[in-house]
Amino acid sequence: MKRLTFIGIIILLFFTFTAMAGSAKKYGKALTLKRVTKISTILEKPEKYHGKKVLVEGTIVDVCEKRGCWIEIASDKEFESLRFKVEDGVMTFPVDAKGKKVRAEGKFSLEVVSKEELIEQGKKHAKESGEEFDAASITEGKTYIQIDGLGAEVK
Amino acid sequence: MKWRKWNNILHRDIGYLVVGLTIVYGISGIAVNHVQDWNPNYNIEKEFLTIEPLAATERQPMVDEALKKLNLDGQPKDSFRPDEETLQLFYENKTYSIDVPTGNVMIETTQQRRVLFEMNQLHLNAPKEAWTYIADLYAFSLVFVAVTGLFVLKGKTGITGRGAWLTTIGVLLPVVYWIYYLYWS
Repeated sequence: MKRLTFIGIIILLFFTFTAMAGSAKKYGKALTLKRVTKISTILEKPEKYHGKKVLVEGTIVDVCEKRGCWIEIASDKEFESLRFKVEDGVMTFPVDAKGKKVRAEGKFSLEVVSKEELIEQGKKHAKESGEEFDAASITEGKTYIQIDGLGAEVK
Repeated sequence: MKWRKWNNILHRDIGYLVVGLTIVYGISGIAVNHVQDWNPNYNIEKEFLTIEPLAATERQPMVDEALKKLNLDGQPKDSFRPDEETLQLFYENKTYSIDVPTGNVMIETTQQRRVLFEMNQLHLNAPKEAWTYIADLYAFSLVFVAVTGLFVLKGKTGITGRGAWLTTIGVLLPVVYWIYYLYWS
């Protein structure tokens, strides 16, 4: 009887994991938006989407190797991609998600950082990490665009 | 005394219960503590080779040409061109990054570190949901084991004797380090 129960549990677990393998892996909060916004549309006029919640989809082309705290999603147009960033530990994307399809929802943000701010950040980072930093390597400011992640489904 | 008997019983039994998780959190703690120096979750290997430069300019013909020149049979899961000079092919746990004009190829193979990967995922609460409560319960149990541990022994080696000194040292360690970190580092 005990052996039968054990075999039953193994079979049940097998079918559960097999069923789970085919479904999308969910990260963070459940997706709420139904309409997908093309990444190319966002990148065309990023200022229009600043602060807005968007749902995008595409192939994961890069993943944060050490903490899994961001993924890079390919655009529907060539040579474009968009970063989906989460706070450390909120969601952890596995490196082997590269090449998989993702539907990701979050708040789009556009941040313009001046040259002086970049130098300040670089100095601070260098102090914390013990690495060297050459302020002369920063010649101009930068515009950061990303989606601050809320939830994602990877398949 | 009756309370010490119960203190010791609970300290012992809860101590047994948290052994497994303490090992998981301890080993993973060391692993993720050094994340600046190594990747605690994955073993990532990079291999380089050179093929003939790719002549095609459109993505699909470029992928077909690359597969032929790399002698790859299976189609990739997907491909991507981050810029005009780069083509990436994605396979399961393997990415080919091809520099189109030179034919230089970087093959990146990713493998999960067995057991350590799972330990890190649990430690960092990647599963969320019920694990959050299990981890909370574990943390509470650790505090309980620590506090009851103070009262296991009485006398010279207990909390009124040597135990007081050692406990003070243990408490001062983080406090002193934090002051050093704030004002001198």
